Amino acid sequence: MYPVFYAQFLKDKRKPLLILLFIGLSILATLIFGNSAWGSKTSVPIFASGPNSEEIEQKWVKLLNKDSDTEYVISEEKTAREQVREGKRDVAILLMEKDYRLITASDMPNIQLVEHEVHKVFTEEAQLQAITGSADTAELREEIDRYLENPPLTVQTKSVNGGELTSHNMGTQLLFGFTLFIAMFTIGFKVNGINADKVSGVWNRLNLSPVSKTNMYSGHLLYSFFIGFFQMAVVFLIFDYMMNYEIGPLHIILTIAAVFTLSSVSLAMLVAGFTKTPEKFNMVYPSVIPLIPIISGVYVPPGVMDNPVFTFIADLFPLGYALEAMMDTALFGAGWSEIMLPVSLMLLIAVIYMGIGINLGERERC
Amino acid sequence: MLETVKLTKSFKDKKVVDEINLYLHAGESVGLLGPNGAGKSTTISMIASLIRPTSGDVKLDGKSTIQNPSDLRKVLGVVPQEIALYEELSAYENLKFFGKAYRVERERLEVRIQEVLDMVGLKDRQKELIKTFSGGMKRRINIAAALLHNPRILILDEPTVGIDPQSRNHILETVRELNETHGTTVLYTSHYMEEVEQLCNRVYIMDHGKIIATGSKEELMSILSSEDTIGVQLSKRSEAFTDKIKTLPDVLQVEQTKEGLRILAKKNHNLLSNLVHAAEKEGIQIMNYQVEIPSLEDVFLHLTGKTLRD
Repeated sequence: MYPVFYAQFLKDKRKPLLILLFIGLSILATLIFGNSAWGSKTSVPIFASGPNSEEIEQKWVKLLNKDSDTEYVISEEKTAREQVREGKRDVAILLMEKDYRLITASDMPNIQLVEHEVHKVFTEEAQLQAITGSADTAELREEIDRYLENPPLTVQTKSVNGGELTSHNMGTQLLFGFTLFIAMFTIGFKVNGINADKVSGVWNRLNLSPVSKTNMYSGHLLYSFFIGFFQMAVVFLIFDYMMNYEIGPLHIILTIAAVFTLSSVSLAMLVAGFTKTPEKFNMVYPSVIPLIPIISGVYVPPGVMDNPVFTFIADLFPLGYALEAMMDTALFGAGWSEIMLPVSLMLLIAVIYMGIGINLGERERC
Repeated sequence: MLETVKLTKSFKDKKVVDEINLYLHAGESVGLLGPNGAGKSTTISMIASLIRPTSGDVKLDGKSTIQNPSDLRKVLGVVPQEIALYEELSAYENLKFFGKAYRVERERLEVRIQEVLDMVGLKDRQKELIKTFSGGMKRRINIAAALLHNPRILILDEPTVGIDPQSRNHILETVRELNETHGTTVLYTSHYMEEVEQLCNRVYIMDHGKIIATGSKEELMSILSSEDTIGVQLSKRSEAFTDKIKTLPDVLQVEQTKEGLRILAKKNHNLLSNLVHAAEKEGIQIMNYQVEIPSLEDVFLHLTGKTLRD
């Protein structure tokens, strides 16, 4: 096993660019997408048409921007429509006296969030108008606000273990998501070394040596594990110690990363077993892997990805489990017992995929 | 020393290797000849215990190696057709890697690496990466890697495909030295007839998965004792003339060459006059007519009706 492991290490030592590139990519992607998702407000253009458009816009802009994370900005109709058509904005809103229309060219999850928010504001206004029996609801709103300053009932929200409820942090989620996702590529390309060796004849040559098949596989797979885990550990250490991200207790995060690496090695072995040649692997693996974070909901807040088919497919891959375990640890202080389920499922994936993958790889190679 | 008994391999009901019997005596150099697709590489893979035969046996010193190939693997060196090396590593690193895999002792390995590098003439290039080598140099390191554990039997699967003449000569010299000086038993497969003629004491000729002839070079040549191979140089090429020659009495095979024709025919004193007569009718001049000394290539042509590189 050692000569196989060492030969793979020597190859990477001679050409470390790929590993360094992937480490850099993990950091860069987190910084770019993490910070934009975290810090800046999404801006949505709104407009009205007709003779009293200005009045309608002024009325709704105040209500929409009240208690909202999204910034609603009054815009020219032509400009707003152009921005949506050119893809500069995901959505614009046409306001009417008592109704609204969403103008969009796509069906992205953030549009559903905007729709939800706007619908809530319009429904509330309609309820107030129904109570007052007129269009002027300002007085009633003030009255309600005053009343709520000393409410008869207050609701206190606490986390399961009694602590303060932490709000979801997309920056941390993207840090974990990108790091795990990019590590899957590194791991895959290393596991593909098995297919490359089989095609080049190195595998047969080793087969004739006293090195056993178990050791040949172990050498490759252990190296893939080592390099994938190393990459993730470097990224987490940089974010924890140099960029002061809240990533939770490092020993638990690294344990989850290790189990995720193991199951990713198995997943790559499964693909390698199916594809049999490095060229086919390089065609299939990079086409399939980018879909996993999308269906696993890595890029969106929890709960947005609720399609049962996608969720079922996502459950077959380790990324969702690892992300869930890491987020629970980082945000809610989950301990060993809380992460046991996702970790166990990742281990199950590791065992099943590894078994099938090696079996497929060995077919017609007796 | 090493023998195969009715060795057969089928893939989906198609027999790729069909009941092959061959043997190698200690210190012998044996050639396995055949065109592409004849089943040479599959036979070699079965002998080397890389593929399990559908039926039949491979015996080393009378003992079957199918169930437990470890004894065979200890004494066997295999040079595969492909370049089975890590391109990103140097020649030295590759040899060290395979030497470790073969569990050559650490102190002995350093000496042995230098010995095999010397043997293949690349001692001064050992620190260079394989990917910077020419095809011929890669093939020489490919051979060196198979020699690290000092094998008693060396199987070479077309080790000179697509390389420059200098490297080819070097490889042939290395194989000859291994066989003659070190007493290594050699099984050499190729579709270059002249290499086998040069290196091997005995030859097996394979086609469509079967051994179709076997013997020493002289024994195989005697198959053609009643036939002549004639090289004819013509003033111009003509399909009609070639077709006409094929119909002449006693003509067995006609093959078009760069200069004219190569004819395999039964010994016949009238062939020249028949040829001249046919050429006159077609308006073709015969520039040269030569009865060639038969080669293994001619034997192969006679046996299979095609050339080795068909």
